[in-house]
Amino acid sequence: MIRVEGLRKTFQSKNETVHAIRDVSFEVGSGEIVTLLGPSGCGKTTTLRCIAGLEKPTGGKIAIGDRHVVDVEAGAFIPPHRRDLGMVFQSYAIWPHMNVIENVAYALEGRGLSKADMRQQAMKALDTVQMAHLADRPAPRLSGGQQQRVAIARALVGHPQALLFDEPLSNLDAKLRNEMRKELRRLQQQIGLTSVYVTHDQSEALAISDWVILMKDGAIVEKGRPTDIYRRPRSVFTAQFIGTTNLIPGRLESRDGSQVAVATSHGRLVGVEPTGALEVGAKVQVSVRPEAMHAGAAAGPNVNSLSGALELAVFAGSAVEAEVRANGEKILCLLDYDADRTAGHDISLHFSSDDTLVLADA
Amino acid sequence: MAMSDTTPAPRASARAASGFRLDWRTIVLVLLVLGLAYQVVIPFVMIIWTSLKTVRPGDPEFLSLTVTFANYARAFGSSGFWAATWNTLSFATASTLAAFIVGAFIAWVVERTDTPLAKLIGMILIGRIIIPGILITISWILIASPNIGILNQFINQMFGVRNFFNIYTFWGMVWVQSIEMVPLTYLLLSASFQAMDPRLEEASTMTGAGNWRTLRRISLPLALPAALAALMLLFVTSIETFEVPLLMGGRAGIRVFSTEIFFNTSRTPIDWGLSATYSVAMLSVCIALLFVYFRLLRHGERYQTVTGKDFRPRRIELGRWKYLTSALALLIVFIITGIPLLMMIYVSLLGFYQAPSWAAVQSMSLDNYRTLFSSASAMMPMLNSTILGIATATAVVLVVSLIAYFVHKTQIRGRKLLDYLAFAPIAIPSVILGSTFLWFYLLVPVPVIGTLTIIGLAYLTKYLPFALRFVSNSMMQIHPELDEAAQVAGVPWWRNFFKVTLPLLKPGLLAAWFWVMVHAYRELTVALMLARSENRTAAVLIFDFWDRGSFMQISAFGVLMFSLLLVLVLISHWIGKRYGIQDQH
Repeated sequence: MIRVEGLRKTFQSKNETVHAIRDVSFEVGSGEIVTLLGPSGCGKTTTLRCIAGLEKPTGGKIAIGDRHVVDVEAGAFIPPHRRDLGMVFQSYAIWPHMNVIENVAYALEGRGLSKADMRQQAMKALDTVQMAHLADRPAPRLSGGQQQRVAIARALVGHPQALLFDEPLSNLDAKLRNEMRKELRRLQQQIGLTSVYVTHDQSEALAISDWVILMKDGAIVEKGRPTDIYRRPRSVFTAQFIGTTNLIPGRLESRDGSQVAVATSHGRLVGVEPTGALEVGAKVQVSVRPEAMHAGAAAGPNVNSLSGALELAVFAGSAVEAEVRANGEKILCLLDYDADRTAGHDISLHFSSDDTLVLADA
Repeated sequence: MAMSDTTPAPRASARAASGFRLDWRTIVLVLLVLGLAYQVVIPFVMIIWTSLKTVRPGDPEFLSLTVTFANYARAFGSSGFWAATWNTLSFATASTLAAFIVGAFIAWVVERTDTPLAKLIGMILIGRIIIPGILITISWILIASPNIGILNQFINQMFGVRNFFNIYTFWGMVWVQSIEMVPLTYLLLSASFQAMDPRLEEASTMTGAGNWRTLRRISLPLALPAALAALMLLFVTSIETFEVPLLMGGRAGIRVFSTEIFFNTSRTPIDWGLSATYSVAMLSVCIALLFVYFRLLRHGERYQTVTGKDFRPRRIELGRWKYLTSALALLIVFIITGIPLLMMIYVSLLGFYQAPSWAAVQSMSLDNYRTLFSSASAMMPMLNSTILGIATATAVVLVVSLIAYFVHKTQIRGRKLLDYLAFAPIAIPSVILGSTFLWFYLLVPVPVIGTLTIIGLAYLTKYLPFALRFVSNSMMQIHPELDEAAQVAGVPWWRNFFKVTLPLLKPGLLAAWFWVMVHAYRELTVALMLARSENRTAAVLIFDFWDRGSFMQISAFGVLMFSLLLVLVLISHWIGKRYGIQDQH
């Protein structure tokens, strides 16, 4: 278990104070994988490095297990090498002067193990990441994906209390990234290690985590289960950052519990307001995912619809990605793979009120 | 690329044009290879041939095909040869180790710790490069030689001990030589310290390793190839060094290869054969060491597994110790850069040489400078050095950018040969380079002896390898697609070279130009070997003054020399900036 409380980090540059992290708190339950997600400069990597001990926070506490590793107010700081963590770096940081097994076994040094024991445990860790057959290969002769696996084995081998991942997949090509994403998830479930995972790639975050924490400008914007954060974002920033969405401006007309009605240029749209904090008359953005839009006219109390002209349709294999111009606004939607792709023809779209989110105008 | 094969050329006229371009490229390549062969191969041939002959170059017998090993027998049979070998190797070893320790300390302080004033420390050290080596040697002689040395005079006054220091000893020579090489050490090591990915050390920390194990198992082994390579290069540099053995070796009784070659060539009775034999021995050692050096360098480059990420090396927090490291590093760079500079300025203002005192201060005047300015024989060499510096730098940079273009940006056959030819001179010690150019032009009826041309030609050979490294590095960073885009657009290669490649190369070219200009301006060894009365350079004039014992004139001239060099550097830097050239540093 990892608990971060009121974490703050400021950097002093020439004539200004940069707030890299402002008051960040969250918890990672035992065996859970929590992703810190956000655009570059949002403070996610700095947060991770504070947990690792590679950065000293300027305020707050961090506990790993039942031990406080940092408590700025109490003046406590346990250096990184005594925190019993494993870490996988963005650049892998595989030591080029050692071969594969030496890289992994190094993490067992200083524990009073015999050479044979060290080798055996390292082999076991390499086996977990399917690298045992390359144990004696020199590190510089590994591909990116292989270095990645060695880095994971090295982080795992000492059975640390928690694993930290700093954008571990960002240097891999798209296909390998997809594969490794699934494999990391499988591995994490198999070993059940508490993990903190930093990434700027929202699809990676959704695929891999138990919880996603979205950060912006050094603060947490939102945290939730991947499905919730994708389907029920509570802010325009989240809706835009995670996945693709259409935003339609409007004004809140009426409210019935969490169900609200919004006046927009497309008429009255019915949707869900997740925060319950917006008042009638407020300026809002209606967020609808492209895949929630369906072609064809439909009516009903819980169905919204709009119509426009097809402007551009791109065949993308399993679906057609389309842009529809409706009342001067561009609406993105996914059509069936065999949809009519001729530009200019009129098209009606409908979407369920359940897929229609009403969010405060940023 | 292989342009004529792969460039789509649907029309017949385009195909013809591409064939024509290829021809011109080949002609330029052939001319370059021939020019380089002339400049580079001849020195090697001359050394070996002369070592196999008992007559001087120019003698009709010299060109006959009969060879003899008499010189080798004479050299190997003499105790002088083995004494010189021992002296050369022991002097080089001691100087290398001392320079390495000091240079590594400063590079570590500047690049890897949070020591205050680190940037300033690095800058002062690099600034030292504009002070000619001979002036550094002379200023240390003025400080610590018996009788006249300022330090000895102080100690005599304070403690009544006469000649406490004697710079004319083995360790005196090592002291001056290692001080001379510290900036080079710093340059070599700071580059590799900067190239080190801090994540490699952090990864070790995260496995639970403390600072000590991280240092011992990760940091040091990673730095090892770069450190060994630096040691090799320092060793070669101190084997071929000339100024220190020339000015101090005589009185210290330490004769090394470079001075033996110089004395056998330039003082009667001239012993060509013996000189060439020493040269062959010296050349063999240098080639062997450089071979190891390049092996290590390749090894080191292989170590850099992940590149392209921008990172700053992890700086160790020294706590209160940082003030100590700062003070120590400042003291060292003051000894290296400040003391020679201050000595020169101080002595240049004196009427006669004396230790600093109130009386000395009162007697200060600008008379020495007045004398210099009114003497044409003093101003001529200064002009010569300026011309040589600028002309050599320009010529070298032009040649080198063509070489780099062919080697890295074309697939023409024979381009590798260019690379090897241009790199070979790095093995030739200056003293040998100077003497071979002299011998060769004694043989061929080209009247260049006694002109600046012969020195310029020798410099061209000498500075090729260094300039090529600067330019090759930036050439490799230019993506081949830029060149291919121009080819597909139908731009002739020479236009592409001038319009696309050269402008992109500007930072590398500028760095190479500065480096060659500064070094050619202050160079002594080659110029001294080739000096006659009309083509003396500034550094040669200093040596002449030294022979006559006029310290005050030397100092005034030295101050003028590095002031002028500073002005040259500033002007060219300004020109470079004005024309939008971005400096890499």
